[in-house]
Amino acid sequence: MKLFGGNRSTDEQKRRTPPGQYLTEKWPVLHYGSVPSTDLASWGFRVWGEVEQPFSFSWAELKAMPRKSVHTDIHCVTRWSRLDVDFEGVPIQHILERARLKPSAHFVLAHCEQGYTANLPLERLDDDDVLLCDTADGAPLTPDHGYPLRLLVPKRYLWKSAKWIRGLQFLSQDQLGFWERYGYNNDADPWKEERFSE
Amino acid sequence: MGSQGPAASAARAEIRELINRKGHAVENARAAGERLELAFDEGALRHTPFLDQALGDLAVAIEQDEGQRLGGKSAEASRFILRAIDHSLDEA
Repeated sequence: MKLFGGNRSTDEQKRRTPPGQYLTEKWPVLHYGSVPSTDLASWGFRVWGEVEQPFSFSWAELKAMPRKSVHTDIHCVTRWSRLDVDFEGVPIQHILERARLKPSAHFVLAHCEQGYTANLPLERLDDDDVLLCDTADGAPLTPDHGYPLRLLVPKRYLWKSAKWIRGLQFLSQDQLGFWERYGYNNDADPWKEERFSE
Repeated sequence: MGSQGPAASAARAEIRELINRKGHAVENARAAGERLELAFDEGALRHTPFLDQALGDLAVAIEQDEGQRLGGKSAEASRFILRAIDHSLDEA
């Protein structure tokens, strides 16, 4: 039995782990306040703002949308990273195409249960690994990981992958989200260790 | 420019004391939030859009539904929001 060094990372794992992060095989639960309860029968999602075609959809309509799988690594600002996670959901491009963004749309604000928000520039949202995600590692999201739906933006710290998402608002100018208002970094690139704004 | 006078100064001092006192951030947040709301109600301090939003965010961050534990980020959210309230208190 090894008491020390038994869980050394391989070179491959080290290469995929951003600076200041440690690897975990678990999925720590981090959020503020309480976990919201959800009734799928009344659940709805809204897309609005700088779009030609604002629209809303129900849970049943979401489940009928095109789906995509993403195999990726995730990185939390609290310094844990988890490699090789399988997510499934609706590719964000389906939402963007249906909404028909106006040329003035440059930013997006994700609106979630309990008033939580997270903001992103449009070019970060419109990436091929970004999902409206309802499944992780082959199972529906658990309530504390965002059931029924969360945004998935793997190239940014995980607070941008907003849990319990209920809408996307497209904006011409950036509007800070919850954590960004109070001192988290607006860009949140884990490879640049963009954790806090000061 | 923020509110002037002894009531405003006293309210700011008490709120800052609650923000910076030793103890759990969530408890400090509850106490500071209540004192700030009282200062608004009494007219000692004026509402600002930022402080109204911060109070609303704080209420959600420390809300604890029956039978649930507070989320692990509640304390951190409290600290960040209280620091922002402290910074903008002079404008109230």
